[in-house]
Amino acid sequence: MKLEDVKVAVLRIEGTNCEQESYDAFKRLGAYPEFVHLKQLLGIDCNKDEKRDVFGFQCLMIPGGFSAGDYIRGGAIFAARIKSKLQKSLESFVKQEYPILGVCNGFQVLIELGLLPGIDTVMSDVPQACLNINDSDRFECRPTLLKHENNGKCIFTSKIPNGDVRLIPSAHAEGKLLFPLERQEKILDELEKNDQVVFRYVDPDGNYAGYPWNPNGSPGNIAGICNDLGNVFGLMPHPERTFYRHQHPDWTQSGLDDNVGDGREVFESVLDYICKRF
Amino acid sequence: MDIDRLFKKRKDSSFNFYNVDLFSANDEELQAISNEMGLALALAEMQRTKEYFQKKNRLPTYIELQALGQAWSEHCCYKSSKVPLKKYIYGIKEDKIIAREDAGIVEFDKDHYYCAALESHNHPSAVEPYGGAATGVGGIVRDIVCMGGRPIAYVDPLFFGLLDYPFDKLPKGVKHPRFLFKGVVDGIRDYGNRIGVPTLSGQVYFHEGYTGNCLVNVGCIGIMKKEEMIHSRAKAPGNIYIYVGGKTGRDGIHGVTFASAELTDDSEESSRSAVQVGDPITKEPVIHCTLECNRKGLLEGLKDFGGGGLSCVCGELAYDAGFGAEIHLDKVPLKEEGLAPWEIWISESQERMMFLVAPENVKKVLHICKQWDVTAVEIGKVIDEQITRVFFKGEKILELDLDFFTGGPVYDCSIRPYTILDAKKLEQKEKMFDQPDLNNVLKNLLASPNIASKEWVIRQYDHEVQGNTVIKPLQGKLDYESHGDATVIKPLEDSFKGLAVTANINPRFMERDQYWGACSAIDETCRNLVAVGAKPDSLCDCLNFGNPEKPEKMGEFYEACRGLGDAARVLNLPFMSGNVSFYNESVKTAVPPTPEIMGIGLVEDIRKCVTSDFKKTDNPIYLVGKETEKEMGGSEYYSIMNTDGGIVPKTDIKLLKNCMEGILSVIEKEFIASCHDVSEGGIGVCISEMAIGGNIGANINLSKINKDLRSDFKLFSESNTRWIIEVKKDKVKEFEKILDSFKTPYVKIGQTKKANLLIKDNDCKIIDQKINTLLDVWKNAIWNIMG
Repeated sequence: MKLEDVKVAVLRIEGTNCEQESYDAFKRLGAYPEFVHLKQLLGIDCNKDEKRDVFGFQCLMIPGGFSAGDYIRGGAIFAARIKSKLQKSLESFVKQEYPILGVCNGFQVLIELGLLPGIDTVMSDVPQACLNINDSDRFECRPTLLKHENNGKCIFTSKIPNGDVRLIPSAHAEGKLLFPLERQEKILDELEKNDQVVFRYVDPDGNYAGYPWNPNGSPGNIAGICNDLGNVFGLMPHPERTFYRHQHPDWTQSGLDDNVGDGREVFESVLDYICKRF
Repeated sequence: MDIDRLFKKRKDSSFNFYNVDLFSANDEELQAISNEMGLALALAEMQRTKEYFQKKNRLPTYIELQALGQAWSEHCCYKSSKVPLKKYIYGIKEDKIIAREDAGIVEFDKDHYYCAALESHNHPSAVEPYGGAATGVGGIVRDIVCMGGRPIAYVDPLFFGLLDYPFDKLPKGVKHPRFLFKGVVDGIRDYGNRIGVPTLSGQVYFHEGYTGNCLVNVGCIGIMKKEEMIHSRAKAPGNIYIYVGGKTGRDGIHGVTFASAELTDDSEESSRSAVQVGDPITKEPVIHCTLECNRKGLLEGLKDFGGGGLSCVCGELAYDAGFGAEIHLDKVPLKEEGLAPWEIWISESQERMMFLVAPENVKKVLHICKQWDVTAVEIGKVIDEQITRVFFKGEKILELDLDFFTGGPVYDCSIRPYTILDAKKLEQKEKMFDQPDLNNVLKNLLASPNIASKEWVIRQYDHEVQGNTVIKPLQGKLDYESHGDATVIKPLEDSFKGLAVTANINPRFMERDQYWGACSAIDETCRNLVAVGAKPDSLCDCLNFGNPEKPEKMGEFYEACRGLGDAARVLNLPFMSGNVSFYNESVKTAVPPTPEIMGIGLVEDIRKCVTSDFKKTDNPIYLVGKETEKEMGGSEYYSIMNTDGGIVPKTDIKLLKNCMEGILSVIEKEFIASCHDVSEGGIGVCISEMAIGGNIGANINLSKINKDLRSDFKLFSESNTRWIIEVKKDKVKEFEKILDSFKTPYVKIGQTKKANLLIKDNDCKIIDQKINTLLDVWKNAIWNIMG
């Protein structure tokens, strides 16, 4: 399909707050994003012309923020509201190989929905992982460097060469990716074996490093993972915040060149996939 | 004194409803009524009220007196500050200001305005730091939204006592500065991050004078299309009042009167209920639906609930348009049952907005609010007479002429006398001492909490949400970032035009010399903006002072206003918005006079912005601007040397103007690689920060700087109007030529080098430090205390 026909739903509820820059990322590349309040998908409190169907879109994006305040667990309430009515639709959306992207709070929502890690199943009934409070016990807003380690499964990073290090900044208080402790090692191995690990935190020399380069203490320095099908991708750092070079924290040192930022190819990759696949 | 007999219960009423018998009260009893009801009104104001009701030939109701207490509080009607503000601050380049209501509005480009506001939330934060600071942040964002602005930046200047203050010396009822610092930062973080507005700038300052009364100032900036600007006034009688957002509760009752008195040792007990409770997740959708209704042209007027609650909002919306209001209090959504009507009327519960809507649009507005799950209720209408009438369960409980209600008192110097202290006294105390080892001094300065890295704070705030922060609060090479002078955002998707923001005051200058301290604040604000390549465009002030009833405190206020006005007038910089906070005193002492200044500058093309970190080795380094003088009064150097006296830096605004033009021109032409303003800690700290940010050293020689000065004064003097600039190696001639043409003084003092910072004065080596050593002491100082 043509790029300008690709419709992307940027989902939001109260407390979602990175929707504008997420919308802009798709828009700048020529796609057709739309802000969609969850109630429009659920058909609550809206007029006929305001109702939306998941299958009216080729891509769902759950942006960052503090949905519903995140007073319980990051993303838990947003996920519960989605699941209440849309579980079946989402499951078949993913099975039909439409992509879903979750950034920061969106990643938390995908975990709570059971769409990630998605190792043996498309959507688990209960969450199989959690994004726990950072080791520092603090909100961390800082530049993070992500090494791309996916070997081709993740459709959101197809344009990023394997081994490339990208500056994609983080801003979260709950980003430590944990699995049931007794199975943690096994699951991490499995993720790696299945090519579901997409990004790991590294230091400026490209080495795996502890705090602050790994801002939350995630085991294995994992910053982002995809499901087994490669079409659901969640990550804590914000690719929409380095769409342009002028958004980088050190651009006055490095210069702007053509003003392409390190996060842009995440959006280019998924749009490229949609255009080819559908 | 028993004044119970003066409160007369109305027998005909279905609820508890009192008249207050002012007529039979003598002066002493009038004052006692004011105290008993928490009105904070002076005797003259009570007498004036009595006369008003005598003319009306009826006793006032309890709620009417409460409403007057709010409307006439220092916080709401600026009674002590109006005269000096009018004399000095107003009237500068007024034609630039499009509107000055809850926020000021100024043009951004041909299609857009920006708006900004800065205010204090001091007393609530001193009693309950987390909630106080959070609601401060929540309140200021409403000031932006109610002008039609989309909030794009927070600015949070904070002032605390010393972090290592001994616990056993803390006065009763005073919380430790470390507790306050952490609580305030937590509050700003949890609220600001949740509503998705980046916290871009601010100031964190520690000084013993803030021990009993910390200062929490909050600023917010917004942007709007020109046609989206909306005013805080009705358009026509018949406009419907729609109450939107959070419910009303007992929190925040008497907030404004609490803010208009000194803190005491039992403020914790007595005033806790004056602190509101913030809820960002109610607020966030309120912002969305307010802006959506406004964008769709459904609103006639818009105002946020601030100090004084419903009482002030309803009256002002109507009165400013020459109309009146009829309000039905029983329709107001409540957090809990059993609130008395007067509590509903003056509660300052958070997250509330008032829409004025034409009757035909009410349904559409309610639908939009419903979609965002935001409470919205019709509670009254605009009427033709200039009167506020309030009903509860069908009974009229308040009827006040609006010109009386909003015509609060104004105090001139006959009621608020002032005395101006002689700054010379402190100057004379300056003692001579031998020059110490400057390597140690430099390291001590870099570790001084007022200079040390504020990373501990900055990284807890999301300063990148919205994706528009192009020059961040921490600048430079990854892992070596140091403080920038100003933060720059690019607020529009399809334009490279930028908006720069900074916030400054030097309390040590201010406590010594209010006039030159205020001038220095304007100077530093301009220096900061110019350093990134922004042309200063407007100012906001938040004037934090002591008790205005004390003549010496009022004198400080006059002198500060005079300084701000004198400096801003020469620069043609208008004060677009402002706030006055008096009574910043506690059991211990008053705070140093603190007129916080937020400056906004415009950048034509953000791609030309300059940061403070050194970029390349072998680039020449210049000191640009005013001659360095021995102006050590209030300097960080004297503070860590435990010595006092000396003169506070003066400023020559005309020279500042030349320098600003010169530097903006060399930035525009892309001749320079980095630029940093010289302020606390002088040249020594300035160059260290530039070196830290770029992880690049420098060879400096101070010999060409004011030859009459000793090396330590050259290095650490905080004389105004100075910048350190790293010039691109191949642009030196052009650079000097441009500065000459703008009559901007400069002197070459060295060049960037690898690894070490080496400073000589003539042949004498005074500083030789590894960058990593400087980085460690500077970066870790606050982390080590706060963990």
